[in-house]
Amino acid sequence: MRIAMTRPGARRALAVVATAGIAALTLAGCSGTADADGSAGDKTTIRFLYATGDETWNSAVDAIVTAFNEQSETTEVSLDPLPAGSDYATAMKTMDATGNWPAIVDMRDTVTYINAGKLAPIPTEVTELLSDDAYGAAEDGNVYTVPYSALNGELGMNIVYNKDYFEENGLEVPETYDEFIALLEAIKANGDEPLATAAGEVWPSDQLWKPLAAPYFAEYSDEGGFWNAVVEGTASVEDLREPLQELLDITNEYVLTGWQSTADAQTTTLLVNGQAVMATSSAGLGRLNDINKVNPDFNAGMFIIPAEDGTINVLKNSVTGDTAGGLAISAQAQEDGAEYDSAVEFLDYFYSVDGANILEAQGWLAPNIKNADQVTHNTSIPGSEDFFGLLENPKLKWYQNDSSSAAFSAFNTFFRQTRIEMQDGQITLDEAIEKAQTEFDKTVDSAS
Amino acid sequence: MSATLSAPARTRRRSRQIRIRWTMFGFVVPALIVYLAMVIVPSLQSIQLSFTNWDGIADDYDYVGFANYTDMLTSGRFWNAVKNTLLLGIGSAIIINVISLGMALLLDRLVHLQGLFRTAVYLPALVSAFIVATIWKYLLNYNFGFVNTFLRDVGVPDAARDWLGDSDIVVWVILFIVCFTLGGNTTLIYLANLQSVPQELLEAARIDGAGKVQVFLNVTWPMIAGGVTINVTLALIAGWTIFDQVMVLTSGGPGFVSETMAFFIYKVGFGEYRAGFGSAAAVVLFLVVLISSAATNGYMRKREIQA
Repeated sequence: MRIAMTRPGARRALAVVATAGIAALTLAGCSGTADADGSAGDKTTIRFLYATGDETWNSAVDAIVTAFNEQSETTEVSLDPLPAGSDYATAMKTMDATGNWPAIVDMRDTVTYINAGKLAPIPTEVTELLSDDAYGAAEDGNVYTVPYSALNGELGMNIVYNKDYFEENGLEVPETYDEFIALLEAIKANGDEPLATAAGEVWPSDQLWKPLAAPYFAEYSDEGGFWNAVVEGTASVEDLREPLQELLDITNEYVLTGWQSTADAQTTTLLVNGQAVMATSSAGLGRLNDINKVNPDFNAGMFIIPAEDGTINVLKNSVTGDTAGGLAISAQAQEDGAEYDSAVEFLDYFYSVDGANILEAQGWLAPNIKNADQVTHNTSIPGSEDFFGLLENPKLKWYQNDSSSAAFSAFNTFFRQTRIEMQDGQITLDEAIEKAQTEFDKTVDSAS
Repeated sequence: MSATLSAPARTRRRSRQIRIRWTMFGFVVPALIVYLAMVIVPSLQSIQLSFTNWDGIADDYDYVGFANYTDMLTSGRFWNAVKNTLLLGIGSAIIINVISLGMALLLDRLVHLQGLFRTAVYLPALVSAFIVATIWKYLLNYNFGFVNTFLRDVGVPDAARDWLGDSDIVVWVILFIVCFTLGGNTTLIYLANLQSVPQELLEAARIDGAGKVQVFLNVTWPMIAGGVTINVTLALIAGWTIFDQVMVLTSGGPGFVSETMAFFIYKVGFGEYRAGFGSAAAVVLFLVVLISSAATNGYMRKREIQA
């Protein structure tokens, strides 16, 4: 007997089955959980999930995990890197949906996961290794995240530039916003591309936006932050009209073409290749280290876009805010017991003097540990004097802008995409403001 | 024949048939259980979740009635995703089928190196959409990509575009890449259909004085009507559910401009912690796929009968 695939009935059946299958799989996409864990041999194997993209962080993680594995008799840490370009928040959600939590996670959107009971408390055995101001307790009194780097807030969100070009053309690091615009104009007048920035992965679009918005956010620092003021009705997205206009003007006039599809890591290449004189960054010292690895002869410098009065406003989120990142131990590891013990053992090493020195040797700024005086800082990276100089700059002003709403992360992603739409000319400034305010009211405000 | 069998024989035959059916059903049961647990039950659960404000993480949620559906249908972002999905679904179905049929006709008449050319045409279909999209992403990079470098090198720098960042063309670029990826299978199905067309019919038509075009329109085309139905239906379904290419090439951007419905569901459900809202969008996509595919299939079958 031969299967008659050309019969109309059979074809119809095949088409119906295919349609139903695809449609059902589409529906199934938003639900489902399962469990998984792992241990092998004499040692307990635990996974460490972290975001890649910044080469310095990649090498720092690799170095400290290798060193830990060599000295530990009970634990083997395996790296679970999330490739550059991936949406980290989405990957975490997917990981949660599959019930496949690693023992150690480089956290994002922390409050959401604490509220859902997905994280385990970090024991005092670990926190007592850290400076008292380097971590904070959540509402229930437990500590859920500990820092993976020095607490320098968003000091790393800055502009890296070609120092040789500046010297050859008699250009200076700007001390006011007007000087920054004049600098962009001068480079453009030379026939060169002033600034490379990236929006290919959505999140790097913050690199140009946040320094421009910082003076406006900083006004609300003592009142609980700008976004909480929007919830309370004492501020609105309309108050960001001026920095949004500045963002639009800079994009239209001075940004290297192709920014919409440029990935964050590519801006280093654009800078080193001389395709742009400056580039936005959010990796601070790490970006300088990356540049040095790509081209050791490149003379890189770094500055932060100043406010009109010359103030350098830098965000310093609280250590317990939703946007505060940090290393966490998963509740799934706690259920396992052995995985939790191994995760604690790894964190003990991470916050030891040996661990801090390994991180610093890779060009990473080690977290603020109690024995910080025994840590050797790495000042060999060209341009690092600019980064450390920012910490000493008398015009540096820290501000806070934590949203107390767990729904803020969802809005923040939407706001980024809306800004990109505006920068790209798909919508006007007015439409962007209205759209962002409507979404804020729908998500954050209603949730609050 | 059965009328001539005695009553006990009929009973024996009937019980044997029932036994065979139960045995066959027994073989199906394990797969059925997995399918029910992994696809059907979560699918039904999605319908329930579409009426909630579940964030996808927490254990609890509230029922919000039709709020997710109302929000979705009044959202410009959703309608943009619908527009892109329709464009990619219908566009890819038409383009893939036209080009694949042309390729199949050429391959069918090849005398030499048939295997080489068939392999070349089918090769893109052997690579995953994710990998193909990643390769295209490198090729189309504005600053470093091969396409723009080539255009600049051959003296037409103005033709260099931000292929994946220009909101005016990005959806068309995705359409091109989708067609490139999916064309191989379609060509193969057409080729199999063409080779099953009886040669005596073709020869009879030629003897009757029909030209090449007439032979194709009056003999070949009706004979491959079944293949057209299958190919169009499969291409439409693939188009409605395009995800990998968007994820890799543009992440839905710049802004929201290249989001498709499948990507929209993923983004809001997983990335924005709005699993209830994402489930509502999944239900809508389910209906779109079901209705459009059934309508297309119905129309194509009617055309087959007429042909």
